[in-house]
Amino acid sequence: MKKAFKLISVIAAVALLVSVMAACSGSNGKNGNTGNANSAGSGKEAPKPVLKRLNVWANEDYNTYPVAGLLEEATGYKVQHDMLPQDKWVEKLNLIMSSGEEYDLVTSYSDMALYSDYAQKGALVDLTPLIEEFGPNIKTAIKPESIEALKVNGKLYAIPTTVTYKINSSILIRTDWLEKLGLQMPTTTEELKNVLQQFKEKDPGGNGDRNVPMTIKGDQAMIDNLVGAFGMPNAWNDVDGKLVPRVMDPAYKDYVAYVADLYKQGLIDREFVANKDATAKEKFSSGAAGAIVVHWADIPAIYDALTKNQPDAKFAYVPALKGPAGEFGFGANAGFDRLTFIPKSAEHPEDAIKWINASLEPETFKNLAIGVEGTHHKVVDGAYEPIQPIFTDERNLANNFMAGTDETNYPQYWQARVRKNPVMFEAFDYLNNKLPEDAKKENALGLAPYMKEYSKSNQQLHTMLNDYTVKLIAGVETIEGLPGFQQKFLEAGGEASSNEVNEWYATVQK
Amino acid sequence: MYRKTIKDYALDGTIYVLLILMGLMTLLPFVNVLSKSFSEEWAIVSGRVGVFPVGFQLDTMAFVVTNSQFLRSLWISVLISLIGTLASLLITSLTAYPLSKRELPGMGVLIVLFIFTMMFNGGIIPNYLLIRELGLINHLGSLVLPALISVFNMLVIKSYFESLPSSLEESAKIEGARNLTILFRIILPLSGPVLATIGLFYAVYYWNDYFHPMLYINSTSLKPLQLYLQDIVMNADTSSALDKSADDLMNVPAEGVRAATVIASTIPILLVYPFLQKYFIKGVLIGSVKG
Repeated sequence: MKKAFKLISVIAAVALLVSVMAACSGSNGKNGNTGNANSAGSGKEAPKPVLKRLNVWANEDYNTYPVAGLLEEATGYKVQHDMLPQDKWVEKLNLIMSSGEEYDLVTSYSDMALYSDYAQKGALVDLTPLIEEFGPNIKTAIKPESIEALKVNGKLYAIPTTVTYKINSSILIRTDWLEKLGLQMPTTTEELKNVLQQFKEKDPGGNGDRNVPMTIKGDQAMIDNLVGAFGMPNAWNDVDGKLVPRVMDPAYKDYVAYVADLYKQGLIDREFVANKDATAKEKFSSGAAGAIVVHWADIPAIYDALTKNQPDAKFAYVPALKGPAGEFGFGANAGFDRLTFIPKSAEHPEDAIKWINASLEPETFKNLAIGVEGTHHKVVDGAYEPIQPIFTDERNLANNFMAGTDETNYPQYWQARVRKNPVMFEAFDYLNNKLPEDAKKENALGLAPYMKEYSKSNQQLHTMLNDYTVKLIAGVETIEGLPGFQQKFLEAGGEASSNEVNEWYATVQK
Repeated sequence: MYRKTIKDYALDGTIYVLLILMGLMTLLPFVNVLSKSFSEEWAIVSGRVGVFPVGFQLDTMAFVVTNSQFLRSLWISVLISLIGTLASLLITSLTAYPLSKRELPGMGVLIVLFIFTMMFNGGIIPNYLLIRELGLINHLGSLVLPALISVFNMLVIKSYFESLPSSLEESAKIEGARNLTILFRIILPLSGPVLATIGLFYAVYYWNDYFHPMLYINSTSLKPLQLYLQDIVMNADTSSALDKSADDLMNVPAEGVRAATVIASTIPILLVYPFLQKYFIKGVLIGSVKG
């Protein structure tokens, strides 16, 4: 009898000891929480509580990352960070929110449907009075239009970090192939077609059967840059004063006809339907493809691989192509990247706001974003350049610590992150800084307030349209079936969304 | 004597070839990941790595196995597997022993109750609430406690106990041994094969479990290996690039790093199998041929 009990208690003791040790090595947040029950923020003398923050996934531990120490010193608050999983974070967040975990701050990816759901169910703290009282820096840092876009029933429940750049991707083309064939960089859709035809016939890469003029991945039915050339750079575009989804756009037919023709002539990867992200990149970086449609952030990996395989290879983004009707442009990001909110179950809502306020104090924020001049970055021609490797080591995850940004200065600070890789920066710089402003067609819905129908069906409609467009391009469906599909699209929520979107759009048009 | 005809040889040959092909089919993806973890990144990105590494290097693997988060997660997984397996074995045999005694009053009811839990349980949300009320969120106890006893394993051990000759116990009783002494001194030492088998079942369960930690663990420092692995591998899925910011895209771990992480976290549990293999087969048979 005794022996058995001994064994059990030994196991229990070991388990306890280990978990205590693990908790301590992470941070000693647990002790702090119980020690500071008064969150009333009474007077300066009261010890500052340890704040619990739930954040998005990162590939390093927040609690030991250098920025955590910096912020603790600058704000006077110790923050204990937990993080959501990478996969299915929405489910996990729902679980945490509904079980009333005591987080003082929650930062998630910007999901307006989720956010307004929480807000309407009363799960979040109204921030307006708190900011009024404790948040002077917040008021100067966040622009009024951002605040407006986040209001649910007239109240503000979250502080945003806004997106910092406008254009994601375009067609990346092998300029050494162009030179070899004596071709100019294409500027119109017709010229692009011609270039791809030459790529196909003359095979400048010497790839034989493997030669692919332009590769895309299987779910990339809407090719950035080309959609702009047909006047529908964004998912919803203004047609005669109304916002219209691409499938209802009169230009949709022309776009599909153009891309389907490219496919038919073998100018777009024959196997594109089966291409995964990695397959498409493989084809380009092994030198088999002459063009690919990618995000600029993907460029470093592609560049490294391509130049190892073919040292003479060079590439550049194609400029905004002009379509048959003279239209051109890229869909430009607008809106939010992350949202930070305070759940009702928070123990220290006032301190949480004070913490955000302290983190947005201009000098602190700058240090958080790009570190100390001379140590982490240097200023060259008015631009911030990172000093490596310390910048990557100590500031790479800095954006994850932000709860709100200095919206005026952050886009400039942020470009230091892109400069970590010169090739990537060149591509980024071309798309985002060098392209004329009129080629950046802002997404009208980026800063739109929460819309119920739209949020509900947006994702599903997007997938539905994408699948259909892929079939049209690959010739599985014919364009004669379009009215039937449009009908289905409208019934699946397209009509309700459209009414709702335009009701709002009419109010901003005035 | 039956002599094999040409036809038989041909048939055998075809079967061997097919089986070898099928074996290779399951082996190849593993070998591919293995060689990716020792290849240069550029070769992986341009799709050149097949069975053999291209541009052999050890840096990726060294980077992975010296990563502090990997090591901590590995430690957590080892710890949970060890403590969990030992505790599970103890509790399971403590339950199985009395139930193996036919004279136990109310035994029919007890067995039915146990089997009932095999088929019905509270579901995820009630379990989550229970764990939360126990204060075990973000606590390693939440990974061990709910899985302490598996009824199926308990029944296997019970039927093994039943197969042991009862005269052993009777003679021990005559010598003055009490029940726990009999269990720990006589029954358990005789149950090596079944304990090894069930122990392996439990160990593999604890090692592979990612669902419970996903629900109950929020703290980075307490994440077991499977959770760490899932984060690393899922992160690379840029097909949903629409909802990712450029900051995340720029930080996607290299393909080689992911491959190396997968390999490094598979090896430890793979190493356990060969050592327990002989018990494993013996133990599984025990459940089936008792008499």
